[in-house]
Amino acid sequence: MPELSLINEVTALAASTADLSELLQALLERGVRVVNGKRGFVALVDFDQGRLVIQCGTGEGWTDDKKEQRLLLHTGEGKGITTYVAATGKLYRTGDVDQDPYYIPYFPDVRSEIAVPILDAHGRTRGVINVDSPQRDAFDEQDEACLRAIANIASVGIAISEHRSRERAFVEIGTELAASPDIASLVAKVIKVTAEVLRFEDCSLFLLDADRQTLTLQASRGRLNDRAGTATYKLGEGLTGWIAEHGLPIRTTNPQSDPRWRGLHQEYPAEEMGAYLGVPIEGRRGVIGVLRVLRRRSKFPWFRNEFTGDDEGVLISIASQVGAAVESLRLTDRVVNAERMAAWGEMSARSAHMIGNRVFAIKGDLNELEHWLGQPEDRREQFKELAESIRKGVFRLEEILTEFRDFVMATSLSLTEWDINEIVRQSVDESFPKRCPVRLEMSLTSDLPKIAADPTKLKRSFSELIENAISFQQDGGLLRITTCPALRKEARTLCGLSGKQDYVKIEFADAGPGVPQENKDKIFTPFFSSRAKGMGLGLSIVKGIVEAHHGGICEVGEENSGARFVILLPTVG
Amino acid sequence: MCKILVVDDEEEVRAAVARRLTRDGLKVDTATCQEEAVEKLKAANPTYDVVMTDMVMETPDAGVNVLKAAAEEDIFTEVIVLTAYGNVANAVECMKRGAFDYVEKNIPGVDVYDLMSIKVAQALDRRRSSMNTVRRIVRAQK
Repeated sequence: MPELSLINEVTALAASTADLSELLQALLERGVRVVNGKRGFVALVDFDQGRLVIQCGTGEGWTDDKKEQRLLLHTGEGKGITTYVAATGKLYRTGDVDQDPYYIPYFPDVRSEIAVPILDAHGRTRGVINVDSPQRDAFDEQDEACLRAIANIASVGIAISEHRSRERAFVEIGTELAASPDIASLVAKVIKVTAEVLRFEDCSLFLLDADRQTLTLQASRGRLNDRAGTATYKLGEGLTGWIAEHGLPIRTTNPQSDPRWRGLHQEYPAEEMGAYLGVPIEGRRGVIGVLRVLRRRSKFPWFRNEFTGDDEGVLISIASQVGAAVESLRLTDRVVNAERMAAWGEMSARSAHMIGNRVFAIKGDLNELEHWLGQPEDRREQFKELAESIRKGVFRLEEILTEFRDFVMATSLSLTEWDINEIVRQSVDESFPKRCPVRLEMSLTSDLPKIAADPTKLKRSFSELIENAISFQQDGGLLRITTCPALRKEARTLCGLSGKQDYVKIEFADAGPGVPQENKDKIFTPFFSSRAKGMGLGLSIVKGIVEAHHGGICEVGEENSGARFVILLPTVG
Repeated sequence: MCKILVVDDEEEVRAAVARRLTRDGLKVDTATCQEEAVEKLKAANPTYDVVMTDMVMETPDAGVNVLKAAAEEDIFTEVIVLTAYGNVANAVECMKRGAFDYVEKNIPGVDVYDLMSIKVAQALDRRRSSMNTVRRIVRAQK
C-alpha cells in the first residue's frame, strides 16, 4: 500500500529531523515525488511581517532568484493560488492553469497545480505546500489525500519546533536572569530573548516607579527603543496602565477600538496596529511592571496574526521569572546601599575631623602671619615659610576633597564597551612616571572580550594601584601588569562572583613588602591606610569602582614577596 | 618659665599650637599620643603647669586618660581640652573630671589661637593662686 509506506516515511522523518527547515525540505521532496509533480515549494506565514515567505523549493528551476521573485508575488495584491489557499485555509487543485482565475504564470511549462494549507491546532494557516506538473489534470483525490497528510506532519513539525524554541527561551531567560548583574542588563536580555527566540518582534518592558504611580519604559525592541526611560504611563492609563492597575493580562486583535486605549506610546501608527498582548509582571507585593508584545496589521485582510492563549501563557511565565529576578536585584541593591550609608556616616565624621584639623593649622599660620606683620622688623624669610605651610595645608584639604568626591562618585558610572587593554595602557601612560626606579612589565592578552566600562573611573582605580606599587618600592622594584581571560572557578573562589558569567582578569603584582596576612581583609575598608596621603580611602575607592562594574577585587600576594592585586570584570554578552 | 605639654595626634596641629604658645613665652613640650603623654607627665620634674590635650586620639577617651594621669602627678596641673567644633559633650565630661576649660578647634570666624592664649594665661593664674593658697595654709599650720 503506497499510503502506508508514505505515512511510515514521513512520520519517521518528523521523528528524526530536529531542524524545521530540513524537515520541510524533506517533506516537500517526498510530496512532489509521491504525486508525480515536477516542482514544489513550501511557503510559511510570517506573523510579524503579515505575509507569506517561501521557506524551501524543490524540482527543476528553483534558484534563490526564483524564490525571491516568487516571494514578491505573494507580498503583492494577495492574488495567486497559494495566497488563496492561505487566506481560505482550503485545498485548491487545478488541472488546467490556463483557464484558472487564481493562477499567476510563473514557470512556462506548468499545466496543473495543487496547493494544500498547513493548519495549526487553532485552525490558523501556518503555511502552504504547492506542487505543479507540466501535464494537464495531473492530480487527483488520492494526491490531495497524500499532500494533506504531509501538510499535517509539517504542522506537527512547526508546533514541535515552536515548543522547542519556547523551551530554549525559558532556559535562556532563566540562565540570563540568574547571571544578570543589574536590572538594566536583565531587561535588555529578556527583550532580546523574547524577540529572537519567541519571535515576538515588537516587545516592550515597563516597570512601575517607586511611588507605584507611573510605569516607565525600560527597554523595547522596535520603534520605542530610543524612548526607554522617557515613555511613561500613569497607573490605569491606556491598556498598559490598566494591566498594571488590575494585575490582569489583555489580549486583543483590535487594540484601537478598546475603550481603554489611549495610543500614547506606539510601536507603529495606530492604523497599522494589529494584535496586542500585555501581561503584568508580578512581584511579592503586587504588580511591579508590564511586559507587552504587538503585531503589525497585515496588508491582507484575511490574515490572522492574533496572539494565542499559548502565547499568553508563555508571556506570563516569562513575566513571572522577570518579576522574581527584578525583586531579587532590588533587594541586593538595598543591602549594598545600606552598607554604603553606614560607610557614609563614618565618612562624614572622619572627614569633618580631618578637615577641621587642617583648617585649624591654617588658621594658626594666619595668626602667626598677622602677629609678625605687626612687628617692625623685616621677617620676609618667616613669611615665606608661613606661606609654604598655608599652601601645604590647602593642598591637603584639596586631597581630602578629591578623595571624598571619588569615594562618593565611585558607584555612579557611565558605561560604554571597551577593550580592557586600552584602559590599562592609558592608565599606565597617565600614572607611571617616565623616570621611575620601578621597572614596569606588561603582558596584555590581545583580543580579549569587551567589557562594559566607565574608563575614567577604571583608570582612577588602576592608577591608585600603580601609585601604591611605586610608593612602596621607593628604592626600585618591579610592577607587572597582566590581562587575560579569567577562569570561571576564579570568579567564585577569589571574589565570590557568579560562576555563570565570563570575566577578564587584570593583575597588578609588585615586588614590594606585600600585605601582611592580618591586613588582607582590612586594606579595602575605608580609612585603613599605611600611607600619609589623603584620608585612607584609596583602596576602598578602587573596590567601590570595581564592584560598581559588577566585578571583584582581592589581594592574593604573600607577605615579603610583593603585593598581587587581582581584579575581575565581567565581559559583555 | 612656665611649662606646658601639648598632646595631639596630628603633627600640624601640634606644631601650630606649640609655635603660638612659644611666642607667648612658655616652654612647650609635645606628645603624639596618650602613651607618650603619660610617659612625659611621669618623667617631668618639676611637673607641667598646664597640659593641653586633644580629646579623641587613638581612642575616644584618650583625653580623659591624659587628664587623669596629669592629676596623679600634680593635683594643681591645669588641663585644657581641645575638641572638634560642636563636640561639647566630651568637653563637659572632662570639665566634670576637673579640667580647667576646653577649646573648640574650629569655631567659625573666631581666631581660636588668641582664645587659646587667653585660656592658657587664665589656667596659669589659677595654678599660681592654688599653689599660693596651699603655701599659705601650710605656713599657717606651721
